[in-house]
Amino acid sequence: MNSAWLLITTLAIAVTRLPADDRESRFESTIRPLLAKHCIGCHGPDKQKVGLRLDDKAGWAKGGDSGPAILPGKPAESLLVKAVRREASVSAMPPNRSLSPAEVRDLEAWVAAGAFDPREGSERLGGMSLGEAKSWWAFQPLAKSSPPGPGHPIDAFLQTRLAKAGMAYQKPAAKQDILRRLSYDLTGLPPTPPEMDSFLSDDSPQGYEKVVDRLLSTPAYGERWGRHWLDLARYADTAGENSDFPISNAWRYRNWVIDAFNRDMPYDKFIRAQIAGDLLAPNAADIERDGLVVATGFLAVARRFGHNIASDMHLTREDVIDTVGRTFLGLSLGCARCHDHKYDPITTRDYYALYGIFESTRFPFPGCEANRQPRDMVPLPGDPARVAETLKADARIAAIESEKAKIQAGLPRLDFSGARPVASGSIKDGGSARLDVPSPVRMVKGDMLLLAISPLANQGADFTRVELKLSDSAHASKAWDLRTEAIDSLAKGNPVASSHGGAWHFLDLQKQPRLLNSRTDGAYGNENLMAWRSEGETPAAMVNTSPDPVQVFAKLPGRSFFAHPGASWPVGIGFLCPADGNFTIDGSLVDAHPGGPDGVGFNLSVVPAGFSAALARHVEAASTLSKLESEKSGLLSRKRPSEFAYAVAELKPVDAAVQVRGEPEKKGPIVPRGMPALLGGTTVSATNASGRLELANWLASASNPLAARVIANRIWLHHFGSGIVATPSDFGSRGLKPTHPELLDWLARDFVENGCKIKRLHKLIVTSKAYRQSAGPPDDRDPDNQLVSRFARRRLSAEEIRDSLLVAAGKLDSDPGASHPFPPEDSWRFTQHNPFAAEYDTNKRAIYQMTTRNRRHPFFALFDGADPNATTPVRQATTVPTQALYFMNDPLVHDAAMALASRVEAEPTTGAQLSLLFRIALQRPPTDPELAAIRLLVPSASARLDTRSLASAARVVLSGNSFLTVD
Amino acid sequence: MRHPNPEDRSRRGFVGSCLGGSLLASGLASELLAATDRDGLSPRSSRFPAKAKKVIFVFFSGGVSHVDAFDPKPALSRDHGKQVTLDHPETRGRGGYEKLFLKRPGWEFKPRGRSGIEISDMFPHIASQIDQCALIRSMHTSHSNHFNATLGMHTGSFAFSRPSIGSWVSFALGTNNSDLPSFLVLAPNMPYAGTQVWASDFLPGAHQGTRVVGGADSVANLKARLPIEQQRKELEALAAINSIHGSTRPDASFLDARSRSFRTAFGMESAMPEAMNLATETEETKSLYGINRPECRTFGELCLTARRMVERGVRFVELIHTGSSGNWDSHGNMADHTRLAAQSDQPVGGLIADLARRGLLDETLVVWTTEFGRTPFNNRADNPGREHHNWAFSSFLAGAGVKPGIVHGATDEHGIRAVEKAVHVHDFHATILHLMGLDHEKLTYRHAGRDYRLTDVHGTVAREVLA
Repeated sequence: MNSAWLLITTLAIAVTRLPADDRESRFESTIRPLLAKHCIGCHGPDKQKVGLRLDDKAGWAKGGDSGPAILPGKPAESLLVKAVRREASVSAMPPNRSLSPAEVRDLEAWVAAGAFDPREGSERLGGMSLGEAKSWWAFQPLAKSSPPGPGHPIDAFLQTRLAKAGMAYQKPAAKQDILRRLSYDLTGLPPTPPEMDSFLSDDSPQGYEKVVDRLLSTPAYGERWGRHWLDLARYADTAGENSDFPISNAWRYRNWVIDAFNRDMPYDKFIRAQIAGDLLAPNAADIERDGLVVATGFLAVARRFGHNIASDMHLTREDVIDTVGRTFLGLSLGCARCHDHKYDPITTRDYYALYGIFESTRFPFPGCEANRQPRDMVPLPGDPARVAETLKADARIAAIESEKAKIQAGLPRLDFSGARPVASGSIKDGGSARLDVPSPVRMVKGDMLLLAISPLANQGADFTRVELKLSDSAHASKAWDLRTEAIDSLAKGNPVASSHGGAWHFLDLQKQPRLLNSRTDGAYGNENLMAWRSEGETPAAMVNTSPDPVQVFAKLPGRSFFAHPGASWPVGIGFLCPADGNFTIDGSLVDAHPGGPDGVGFNLSVVPAGFSAALARHVEAASTLSKLESEKSGLLSRKRPSEFAYAVAELKPVDAAVQVRGEPEKKGPIVPRGMPALLGGTTVSATNASGRLELANWLASASNPLAARVIANRIWLHHFGSGIVATPSDFGSRGLKPTHPELLDWLARDFVENGCKIKRLHKLIVTSKAYRQSAGPPDDRDPDNQLVSRFARRRLSAEEIRDSLLVAAGKLDSDPGASHPFPPEDSWRFTQHNPFAAEYDTNKRAIYQMTTRNRRHPFFALFDGADPNATTPVRQATTVPTQALYFMNDPLVHDAAMALASRVEAEPTTGAQLSLLFRIALQRPPTDPELAAIRLLVPSASARLDTRSLASAARVVLSGNSFLTVD
Repeated sequence: MRHPNPEDRSRRGFVGSCLGGSLLASGLASELLAATDRDGLSPRSSRFPAKAKKVIFVFFSGGVSHVDAFDPKPALSRDHGKQVTLDHPETRGRGGYEKLFLKRPGWEFKPRGRSGIEISDMFPHIASQIDQCALIRSMHTSHSNHFNATLGMHTGSFAFSRPSIGSWVSFALGTNNSDLPSFLVLAPNMPYAGTQVWASDFLPGAHQGTRVVGGADSVANLKARLPIEQQRKELEALAAINSIHGSTRPDASFLDARSRSFRTAFGMESAMPEAMNLATETEETKSLYGINRPECRTFGELCLTARRMVERGVRFVELIHTGSSGNWDSHGNMADHTRLAAQSDQPVGGLIADLARRGLLDETLVVWTTEFGRTPFNNRADNPGREHHNWAFSSFLAGAGVKPGIVHGATDEHGIRAVEKAVHVHDFHATILHLMGLDHEKLTYRHAGRDYRLTDVHGTVAREVLA
């Protein structure tokens, strides 16, 4: 240590003796300003680089990724001091400019003196102090408020508030407006002309209520409100990984949601089913079991990521945690993946407590480029025999896997190193090559002539037709032909015993080479194709035993041998040499599947004997392995038709380790599975279960004030256009506070006390005067309509636009949709280069359209449909010229206009024609100015309009703002 | 900048002629014709003054090999065949890739222009414009997979969908031509990650990229399904019934905006084809882009269209060569880069030259990039291809606000890692936004309780490339 160090030490001793007041004033005059000036910007409330905060004592004591930043009394060992001294062992701080020498000395002295820091006492929970968190409005129990006046409780709350502002509701909306509004809000469809007539002619006091009850009991209600829920559930029919694999059974969850709304399933039950329905099913009534399993589709449809989704499951779990948090609790739990939440009382520990629950949950595997075979779907429990069979099969598959792993682990390494190259080259797509071996090759007994065929690209490769012949130069009669011998004997086993003591081996040349041990008869659905494979579809060696070509993915010539490399590694054909000699070698490679993007490379070499003992062990084990493998593929290839759900199941429970800064390979401490600390934070007690059931019960419990407030606010939002809390999925500190907290609590409490019935809540809301007032002009005293001083006019949603066009055309097919016409599973070859993409448009309601993740359906992208990749609490309502182009030129609009024209053409006069046209499209007759405008467009002389003119009128009406908006 | 076109008069006139009728109360006229913008696309000034007003973002899909094109590595030729030991994401645990060998460049490098920057013979036309460019040889990115790296290069996010850089720029600056979208993507083929590449995500939908596939139906529903006179009449009637509807609802700005959007759409029906119509360009201009050569005709036409779009005030134009297949992903044989360069080199070189001679380069930023580079090594030195390489690649910037004729950053002697002044994708984005007069830390959007940025929590402006 140099003299400067001594000086500091001396100084430090002196400082230590200062009384507390002095220490405090020194901290305030030097250290606090220094930290504020240089450090807090990156290590404070706004940013926490490397996880470090220096804005309170607990922050530096806990430190960042590298541990505590300050060791009181030990400046030389304190990272903070080392950093400002710009010592080589640490990152120099601040990064772009040095502290002045005086500032460095101040800091050293302060640390040496014990780092007195008065900024303590505020224990934190994530982004809030414990005190703040305890008093945050959204975490309080539901208040027992009562309406501040007589009459409809909602009006009592709202009108009291409006009166204080000197305002009142608008006049009640016109009857035809209110029925149109109510029909769209409750069913997403306009009223029919007879429904409108009947409502207009019913002057009874119960007339309105009767209509409400009727609309709530139509199946269209569930199709409208189920869609709101599917927005939150980021529902889609594809997985969202790089190749966007289709999910054949996602639709069951979609239909379950629609059905749950139509049946008015209590919301607490609705929550439990979606988080842990599979665990509730065994004790449920027979009729409910299938639905309970399907309901966990809420978790299962989480987005998948990357090329091989298994390696990015931490992102899928984040999607689940974030969606669960935002949807049910209005909390952004996902923000705590990499660091404690910046603003809300949620810690990284909370995140990984939940993470453990979902790491203990098996998610279905939709397939992906790296592994195309979907698996882990859940059988519907409605058929106990099938379930038992599936469970038995699953258990057997697991047993086979471990048996195989044991055998393979015991096998010696096949050492093919030291091979002498003989020939190599490559063929392009559609190409061919001859094995160019000009002179005989010397081999001794036990050598192996190895032909390795590798993919040139990392996106797999095609089947290659291979010919390979050897003959002993000294004995012309001793000859071997891969093709004929494989065709005759491949079915007998691998290796294929050859003439004159030789043997053909078909090898998976991974890092640990091994024999292909999965036998497939009737590959690609053709009885003439026989293959040996490895774990998956490839690598493979295959023969067409038929004398004729067979047409599968390509036309394969008769009596031929084919080889297919693995996804990124070679397949091998090895000839084990029976005797010493010089061998003449001839052969060729031909692309057997032209049109794929890639070719293959090949490498012919002689592997010197030395692996023989190891190979013998492999051969010995081969028959056992192949038996196990064929048993497994038999179990796997049982047809899996529609009686499976895309749903979750339990796994062996594990507690998760914190992933430091969200990086899965950087493991931190293990966190017991449990609920977030802010609302009690109970730990999962079951040791033999994931904890999903406990999570479901905790979310749905009557004592969780968030769930009830959040759903009551969502129902309100979709009736009034904005929520009492305007940020419906964020009830934390970055969200907006409720405009009417007492009303929200009253609604939530009333909801819970009356059995969490959503239809009851709708009825309560739509029977209020607030809902029934007219849209009215804006008022400067309430510019954003926070006081509900008028009805908020709205644009139709994407689904409503499309369904209404079909209604106007008289073409809407109101039967529920089911599955989508995806291509058969065994034909799926999707890659990131050629991902799955399709549109299966039908005339069913829009909710039944197939939804892709990576290439959005253009219509729903254009009209602000829900984001299928993230939970969507509120749709946008943009206005862009490309939407106008849609109305001007899209075939659907033109077809609808033409169909509407034919529906009204038979009316006796132009007036009657146009009147019916308006009544169908807009549920009201035209006004005189409107008629005048339309008449300018059409020939004035004729008594009746022809289809062409009517279609022209229909296009104008269907493009108009009256059609597109709800008053 | 407005360009006269023959149909313009009748198109512009339709609202006016309708207003001339007796249908409308006079007070509504101004309402209907009001040019006030409420859809978020009116032009806005940048945060601080900047020369660049528009962007042409050229994206070569699949991974262009830096060591064969922009980053000369004599040591790589010298050490050809030498084994290297690397823990590389593309070869880790991959059978047959236990050993890695350096592989020499397949193209010859030469000093180019006054700057003397060395570029290979792969891109002679781009090389001829290098004095206009700041070449960044120290690019690197976070993922070695096409999908993720492509998403990252466009949105700053390597897994989740987020707004595209074009959407961010449109959101920040709006557009000067309401007859054309503010963010256009000229892409005949779908790229990796699909429409997420140009999605506005949580930003208002007006800022999503409009994909132009080229040809007659270049934008969905652009082509009038009716004779133009008939459509004009119907739109007049529509304007009339909308103004009747609006007369009792004077408050709803959305209703006006929607009425106006039909006028814009009608304008687009002619403005888009006009902008796409290359017939008025001289043969000399066309041949500058290589349009006279069959192999570069397609991309040449797109590049020329890009120039015409920025001339007409489009804020952000992206060009994609080519798509998610048949692209620069030359695992099989690097010679495939020759074929692709023949399609794309002259169009890009011609674009820069054309922008420069017309003075457009003074206000247009040209960005050229790819999602990652290619490995300077392979499992055999004689393996004809190269694999994905995210540790280093090259990109360049040209035009407004860019320091011309410089090289920024460097890789190690074999081109394996960016070692000097490394520029991550986030830094690249920060630099592009800076050139547009935008602060990447201040350009934020509140969504789901958080302020989001293009650069997430990262990004440092590469100040040395600024003029």
